[in-house]
Amino acid sequence: MRYLLISFCFFFVGCASYPENNNFIKREISDLVLKNTYFSDKQKDYIYKATINVNDKPFGGVFIVKKIRNNNHRVVFTTEMGNKIFDFSFINEDFRVNYILEDLNKKILINILKKDFKVLIEESPLFLNAFSSNNYAVFETKIYDKRHYYYTISNQIHKIVRSGKGKEKVIFTFKNTDNFIANLIKIEHKNLKLTINLKSI
Amino acid sequence: MHKIICLILFITTTLHAQTKMSIAEINALKEKVKTHAIETKTISSDFTQYKHLDFLSNDIITTGKLAFKTPNMVKWEYIKPFKYSVIFKNETLYINDEGNKNKIDIGASEQFKKLNHLIVSSLKGDMFDDNEFVINYYKKQGNSEVHFGSKDKKFKKYIKVFYITFDSDGDVIEIKIIEPSNDYTRIVFSNRILNSSLPDEVFTH
Repeated sequence: MRYLLISFCFFFVGCASYPENNNFIKREISDLVLKNTYFSDKQKDYIYKATINVNDKPFGGVFIVKKIRNNNHRVVFTTEMGNKIFDFSFINEDFRVNYILEDLNKKILINILKKDFKVLIEESPLFLNAFSSNNYAVFETKIYDKRHYYYTISNQIHKIVRSGKGKEKVIFTFKNTDNFIANLIKIEHKNLKLTINLKSI
Repeated sequence: MHKIICLILFITTTLHAQTKMSIAEINALKEKVKTHAIETKTISSDFTQYKHLDFLSNDIITTGKLAFKTPNMVKWEYIKPFKYSVIFKNETLYINDEGNKNKIDIGASEQFKKLNHLIVSSLKGDMFDDNEFVINYYKKQGNSEVHFGSKDKKFKKYIKVFYITFDSDGDVIEIKIIEPSNDYTRIVFSNRILNSSLPDEVFTH
């Protein structure tokens, strides 16, 4: 009986939502604004030196983002020597592969990249709830039907967490930021051996 | 009327800035470059790379140093705005990405072998292979610009055509690699020194 009780406890803890697991305190949303402006300047070419670790193997390149017009971003990755690896377009809710190296043309990989980059460029994600956690105002949003938690201080985004089953699945951290750029970005997958580090150049 | 004549003159001059070479000129260029390639034992040079993507406001500019030693050791070292070097040596590609070292065996990959061959031949300028490329020769502002279009279907997926510009001495001064989308990478060489002594340590990982 005691084991059954413990199992039930585990079951319920396991099923708790991300805000519950992290003791978030629900708060009013009237005074809060959520806008991701890190890739929102149309005048700016966003160029980053990228290091990608896949299965503990690092490889580098240049990561490029350009806001072409409202709700229209181009995301390109090249080698340091200039060869294009992939070239994606995000136009409203559409996603287009303009080019991808034949060896990397795998649906599962493209889907992972699409979901990650959508988070980077999405300026006004669908806003569901707001919470407080330590010094952060945390926004619960939905992108591609997955819950994402935006950790902000004074409307500046420090971290975004994509959750699944109440746990962290992907963590996006933004450092050395000003209004229109995050100079250091890290995308860390918890369920996959995949980390993307971006440093603006 | 005066304006129209000026316009016509301007267009004609612009068109003439790049004219096709005669057979005699082509043969002279080939001869000069081939002799040069045989005599070239080492190359050290600075380079500036311009990555042009049509949708960007500015080209991405990177600068670095190039070292080549016969028969086929090549080192591309990017210095600004990031430190990254790649060495092609003994069928292996050695990468140093800001201190993170990595190596790839290229012996197994036909594509990499081709890439290495292409790099070595284009540095020396000796790649006038009509079996492999559709080649067009142009005169441009005192230099020679040679356009290479690959006949290989796989290769054409990555590179539509590339241009090599030779100065009047037959030295390679610029390489432009054009992708099927028309985005391109332009590499301009400067401070090029031929046949200076380059110790093997330059190519150590």
